[in-house]
Parts: sequence; C-alpha cells; structure tokens
Amino acid sequence: MSPQPQAAVGAPLSRVDGPLKVTGKALYAAEFDVDGAVHAVIVDASIGRGRITSINTRDAERHPGVLRVISHRNAPKLPYRDNSGSNNPPGRRLRVFQDDRVLFHGQPVAVVVATTLEAAQHGASLVEVGYDAEQPSTDLHKGKPGKPTTYARGDADAGLSDADVRLDLTYQLARNHHNPMEPHATIARWDGNKVTVWDKTQWVVGTHDEIAAVFDLPADGVRVINPFVGGGFGSGLRCWPHTIVAAMAARETKRPVKLVLSRRQMYFGTGFRPSYEYRLRLGSDRRGRLSAAVHDIDAETSSYETFTEGVMVPGQMLYSMPHVSQAYRQVPLDVNSPIWMRGPGFASASFVIESAMDELAHKIGIDPIELRRRNEPSEDEGKNLPFSTRRLRECYTVGAREFGWNRRNPRPRSKRDGNWLVGMGMAAGVYDPGRFPAEARARLDADGTAVVESATSDMGPGTYTSQTQVAADALGLTMRTVTFRLGDSLYPQTGPHGGSATMASVGTAVVDACNQVRKQAIKLAVEDRESPLYGADAGDVVVRGGRLHVQGTPSRGETYRSLLARHNRSHLEARGSYTGPPTPERESYAAYNATFAEVAVDATLGLVRVRRMLGVYDAGRIISPKLADSQAIGGIVGGIGTALLEHTVTDHRDGRIVNANLADYLVPVNADVPQVRAIYLDGEDNSGNALGVKGLGEVVQVGVAAAIGNAVFNATGRRVRELPITAEALL
Amino acid sequence: MSTEVPESAVPPPAGADESSPAPSRRTFIATTTAVGGAVVAGGVIGGTSLLGQEEASAAGTVPSSRVSLTVNGARRTVTVDNRTSLLDLLREHFELTGSKKGCNAGACGACTVLVDGQRVNSCLTLAVRLEGVEVTTIEGLADGDQLHPLQQAFVDHDAFQCGYCTPGQIMSGVGCIKEGHTGSPQEIREWMSGNICRCGCYVKIVRAVEQTARGK
Repeated sequence: MSPQPQAAVGAPLSRVDGPLKVTGKALYAAEFDVDGAVHAVIVDASIGRGRITSINTRDAERHPGVLRVISHRNAPKLPYRDNSGSNNPPGRRLRVFQDDRVLFHGQPVAVVVATTLEAAQHGASLVEVGYDAEQPSTDLHKGKPGKPTTYARGDADAGLSDADVRLDLTYQLARNHHNPMEPHATIARWDGNKVTVWDKTQWVVGTHDEIAAVFDLPADGVRVINPFVGGGFGSGLRCWPHTIVAAMAARETKRPVKLVLSRRQMYFGTGFRPSYEYRLRLGSDRRGRLSAAVHDIDAETSSYETFTEGVMVPGQMLYSMPHVSQAYRQVPLDVNSPIWMRGPGFASASFVIESAMDELAHKIGIDPIELRRRNEPSEDEGKNLPFSTRRLRECYTVGAREFGWNRRNPRPRSKRDGNWLVGMGMAAGVYDPGRFPAEARARLDADGTAVVESATSDMGPGTYTSQTQVAADALGLTMRTVTFRLGDSLYPQTGPHGGSATMASVGTAVVDACNQVRKQAIKLAVEDRESPLYGADAGDVVVRGGRLHVQGTPSRGETYRSLLARHNRSHLEARGSYTGPPTPERESYAAYNATFAEVAVDATLGLVRVRRMLGVYDAGRIISPKLADSQAIGGIVGGIGTALLEHTVTDHRDGRIVNANLADYLVPVNADVPQVRAIYLDGEDNSGNALGVKGLGEVVQVGVAAAIGNAVFNATGRRVRELPITAEALL
Repeated sequence: MSTEVPESAVPPPAGADESSPAPSRRTFIATTTAVGGAVVAGGVIGGTSLLGQEEASAAGTVPSSRVSLTVNGARRTVTVDNRTSLLDLLREHFELTGSKKGCNAGACGACTVLVDGQRVNSCLTLAVRLEGVEVTTIEGLADGDQLHPLQQAFVDHDAFQCGYCTPGQIMSGVGCIKEGHTGSPQEIREWMSGNICRCGCYVKIVRAVEQTARGK
C-alpha cells in the first residue's frame, strides 16, 4: 500500500460527471457534431438463412435525399485481416457486404446513406431484396452440439451412484439481451487514409484494432473516441458489423456518416447472453455433504464463431466435493454471435447450482444456509489453490441477520398475505474477475492540477469518479484538482472495460503513474537546497492537498506549485502500468455474495412480485462506496429481469426474433423494484493488485435469479427450472 | 421569457414544395402512417417492411411544413420534413442531444420532454403538430449554473449510472411532481414506470423524486 493518506478513496462521493449527465451535456457516440455528417440506415435480412438473389435499389435511390445504397453488389472488397484480438471469438467473423450469403435473420444486407435521417430510414424501406431462403436452425434443442470442453476430478459417475441422495435436474435458461438504453451507434469520418470513429464501445482499443484489421490500416490510421457509454453490460465488448458498415459508407460517399442501430436492430446487430440447457446431477449423503456432481451444459453459438464463457467455473469451486465431471458444448445455430453479458457464465451456472442446492436442502430437511456451510471448501478444488480471500460464511451470517432469515418458514406455502403467497429464498454467488494489462499516464502541471489518461471506458459504474479518487490520493491532490480522461484510443492502452476488471487493472496503472509523479516531485524537493524538505528522507515525505511535507511534521514542506515554479518545470509526467495477475496463479481470487429475496406470488394468477432484496458482498476494498451501492442495486435489478421477465423469443420457422423491442422484451421498470439493499463487507484482497479490490460489476448479478426462484418455491411449493419464471409456469 | 432567434438554418428537404406550406390531408395521413409504421417497427424498416407498397410510394415526395415553437424559452421557426419527430428535430436539427433516443417507440421514456408543461414521449410526437407550443428539454431545466432541485437530487442520491436515461427520468420526474403523483414511494414507482433505467437505479430515482417533491 501507498504511504499516502487516503482521503478520497473510500469516501462516499458523488459522481464527478454527474452535473454533465443531469444537464444533458454528456455526449454519447451519436451526439458528436461532426461537420457535414450524413445518415446511414441498415437494411437487414428478412430470412434466417440462404442467399440474396436480387437487390432492387431503384426506388430507394430515387428517394429525395438518398445519396447511395451499398450492398454486396457494389461494396468494396475489404481486406478483413485476421484479428484474434478485439474479443473476436474463434471462427470466421461476419464480413459485411462481401458475399451473397445470409447467415442469420437480421444480418446487414445493404445500407442506405442519405442527407437526412428521415430519407435514410424511408430509403431503407424501399430497398427490395430477393432471397433464396433455406430453413434456418435456431432451436438450441434441435441443433447439433460441437465437441465438448470437459473437466473431471475423481469419478463422478461412481460417486453419484454411491450417493445416499441423488438429484437429476434439467434447467432451461432463456436468451437475454443487454438492451443498454443507448443504442449502438457510430459516426465515421475519413481524412485521407485515416479514419476517426465515434463509436459506442466498452473498449476503444479493441474497436481500433478491429477497424485497422478490417480495412488493413496502420495503427495510426484509426482513432476511436467514446467518452460516455450509455450502458453496455457487455454489448460493447466487441466491434460489431454496423461499425464497419458506417466506416465503409463514409469512405464510399466521402462524407462523414452517422449510423444508429434501431432498438430492433440491437437484437441481431449486437450480441446476447446465450440460452442454455443445463442438466445437473448431484449426489450427497443424508446430512447434505456433497459427493458428486455431473454437469451437462449446452449453449447456443453462431454458425460462424464459437463463443464461450466461464459457465464451468462455479461447478468446480463453489462447493467442496471429491467427484465432478463437466461437459460444456456449444451448439452452432443460424443466429448472430453471443457476447458476454453481466456475470457471464457465472450468472447462468449459479441459477442452476443454487436452485439445485435449495432443492437438496428441502429434500433432506436442512436450512439452505446450513447446507452451504457444510459444503464450504477450504481451498479452490478446481484450481487446487488456496483462496486469497473467501468470506462467504460472513456473507451468510450478515445477510441472514439483516434480512430476517429466521422469520422464514421452511415449509413451502406456509405464509399468506391476503391472496398473496409469501416466501423467502437465498443463493450464493461467485465471480472470478478479469485482470488485464493496462497503462495510464499522469501529468502534474505547474498550477498544481493533474490530468490522468487511460484508454478505458465508463459504461456506468463510475470509472471517471473512482479513478479520480485513486489518482487524487496517490498524487496527494484534492478531487477537484484532478481530471481523469478516458475513451480515446490515443490514450495509454488498456484491456476491455468489462469482467469487473477495470479498477484492479486500470486503477493499478493509474496509481503506478501517480506514485511515480509524486516521487519525482519528492525527489526534486529533498535534493533542492532551497526546499524546506532538503535532506529529508524521501520515504518520509507525503503529499496532502497539493502540499509536500514530512510525515508527522506538517510545518516542514511546500506545495507542488512552488516546487515546480522554482525549478521552471511546466509539468511532471509519468506512465504507469499493470502487467496483469501473476502467472501461474498462486491464489484463487474471486468475489462472492449471498443474495436474499422475499417474493409474493398471487395465488390465483401466478403473478410474482419481488417485495425486498438484499445482497451481501465480499468484493475486497470498496473505492467509491456511493457508486458501489448503486452498482450492486443495479445488479440485483438486472437479476430480477433475468429471473422473472427477460426472454428473447425466436420464431424457429424463419429465425426472426419476435419480441425485438422494449414493449415485448420485458425489463424491470420502477414498479418492479421496491426495496433493494446492498452491504459490502469491510476488507481488502491484496493478492493481485495494490488497491486490494476484487471487482463488483459482475458478482452483484450472480445468484440473484436463484434467490428469487428459491423464494418462489418457498412461497408456492412450485419449483420452476426455467428462466424466466413466468405466471404461466405457476398456474 | 422568450428570446427571438433567427430562423433555424435547417434546410427544407430536397423536393419539398415550398409553395404549399401545409401538406394535403391525404399526404399527411399517408406520411403519418409511414412514420407511425416505422416507429412501431423500431424506427427502421428493412427487408421486413410493415409498409404496404402503396403507402411507401405515397410518402415518396417528402412533404414538409413550417412550424414555429418555443424551445427552452427561445422561439424557433423551421421548415421540417413532415416525418420528423420532435425528438429528431431536437437531436438532429437543434443540436439539443440531451433528450435521448432509446427505443423510438414510446416504450422507454428516454426521450421525455415537457410540451406545454405535460410530459410526453418526443419520439412519438411529430414536429409538425407542435405549432405554437412550448417545449422544455433537459437543457432548459437549470437556471444558469444553478441546477433544478431534481437535477441536484439525482446527483446527491446517485440516481443514475450510465446517464443515458437520466434526462428522460428527470423530465418525467418534474412532470410527476407537478402532477402530484408523489404521495408515497409506491405512487412514485407507478408514475415513474414509463422510464426504463437499465442500470437499475430505480430505488434512488424514487428517493430523488420524493425528496424534491417534499421540498417544493
């Protein structure tokens, strides 16, 4: 840890970008005023698989204001250089307008560029596309799975057949779409052979690299800018085809082009949390000690890319047991590629495992928390590593106390409130946070203010605020005198803003850069005969409020301003870095939670209403408590959606998504969310980063759906093994 | 307060018939149908057009209209493509991008503005029908650097994360308070349920609205 006093870190501060956001002045991707920009609208395929046989653009081209219609008939051939980075999964990525193949319903088949948005929209409706349609395969249950990824320890089949108590449960998990409130959007402008792209992305670096690869441009031929991201939850982790379409259209028309996906296009123009069929067989003794588990996991992917996520991890390490076998199979379908969505893999697996644990507890007649305590491992049995920190037991204790778990009647359907059946449930959650190499640059100016830059993003968790907090403390400045900048590919490089990795990764690089700058200043001072700090031990000098002084002797010191002025220095600057977690890993590093739910179910109609929820988190050190509280509550709200509302419905006859809008794809609204509370356990985890953080963004959604499902069982006696849990399933 | 400003520099769409300031009833209905259809389908019609061929070609001549309205206290007169929504007028022509497009179908509330003091979804409101109205957007809510109490309450309660739904939430909250639908947290939740916050800040949005309503 830094010897610096921690004034900003840990303080419940308001967002530094709050005033911009509440006045409408924060600029999102489509809102940059790029001189001369024209509008582009994508025409998407109306078949689920097949070939384009004709494209009639006559009416569209005659429509007033339409400048150009581009399709595979007249599109330039693009180099599409290989790019295994940018979060591109293995496979052959979709190439826009490069051939006549249609791989999924909604694939871009043409783009209309016009001087006005209205003309582009209407022009797109006038493009007539003829197809030779084939029967698409979009049903997970009817697809042919690929080769499984497997894991095994012990002898799970033997363990299972020897077990006193056995469960064999199959779960269906619906596809979810991220649906950030800001639609994906791109403005592209070419200046000669260089392109500037304002793009909604969680990773300006990844989008930069992909555009460079697709158009075969040198690294300095692309710049990606995105200072504000209107939500992401994972949807911005890749560069999607529409970004390439916008850049291509701009180059072809020699005009800056603005392209905004419609809400409907978001459902096939960006990724999604894949649907799953997950069979879990579980064996235990009569006291609930687990002995064996067999996991058969099928998930959808596209026909052209193999998408994977961490769905196998919880089954390997959440509970102690000698025998585990897992097979995770991707089922290629005629759909667009999935992408990680909040708590990727872990949220899906946790619904299965935590629902099954509740079934087991009920079956053998012990409390669900007690069952989990009996199976608490002493080390990570998947990785064979000690835990850096794992405080799940404390999460249970605090959660049970704060939620009033002792008021739960273990007998289902035993509590009524008028016509409502009331029940409580809980679940455990885990997430193994990402950690990526990252760089940052810090510059202390002669006026005593500082600017810190890194090519990360802020999709909502508060990167601007929390990075300013860590930078301010490391530099010994106030929040007001530090500016943190992000969202520009020209800034020092980072990994993606996702996987709960940003604070551990970027934050460590920011602290490193700021520590170096502070130490440069201290060195200048202690070696300067004119400084009151001359001769002091550099290790004894701290900085507070922009003033350097000897620790314990505040009177002996001077300000950054006077120091830099005397030395005629306009600024001090340093570049900091984080190189990623130690390899090989020496400890199992993960964030944990216990989530509690109380629901009421209408006894006649099967309607489920969440009454109150509580999450208790072991997430390491909390940098920005006010924002962390919002993030946790938001994760729970997201989990309520997965549990009760969210379900992307595909018409398997033609591969069309039938509820591709926010009126039919239901997400939680204000009336769905009464009382939600979050508690973070005090503490830190210093295994992998100097800040002691474990990452929050994912773990807060893991386990939420299971807690709700378990509460529904406690309320009704009905066990629903399908997400979302709808009224139909409870009638 | 009203400030006279020069007429907006928005050019009339190409092909617009300058001599007929108002569209005929027939073309108006046709274009409204076309825009309505596009809006329902999520804004963009591609290969899955909901439009019949007849309607589509009827809309081909791009009629436009002159409309005068007051936006955040400033009088603006524009010639506008009849298909243009108030939201697109604000965002694409007036450079008032504070009002957000989330769904373009009236389902998310991100585009909420006040029209003559009433909260409306600007994505579902055609600009041409707004002759003489007063529009207030998020940009017109603060008094100089002094935030509106609800804006300040959103900051204080951390009632947002990504910020994209926030202007709509705040405009909707101003409407909700004005309507008096703030008697209890439950009432606020119901009357604020037309505004989706995907980051899930509802608990804090309710607190911000409640506090502001109490203080008014």
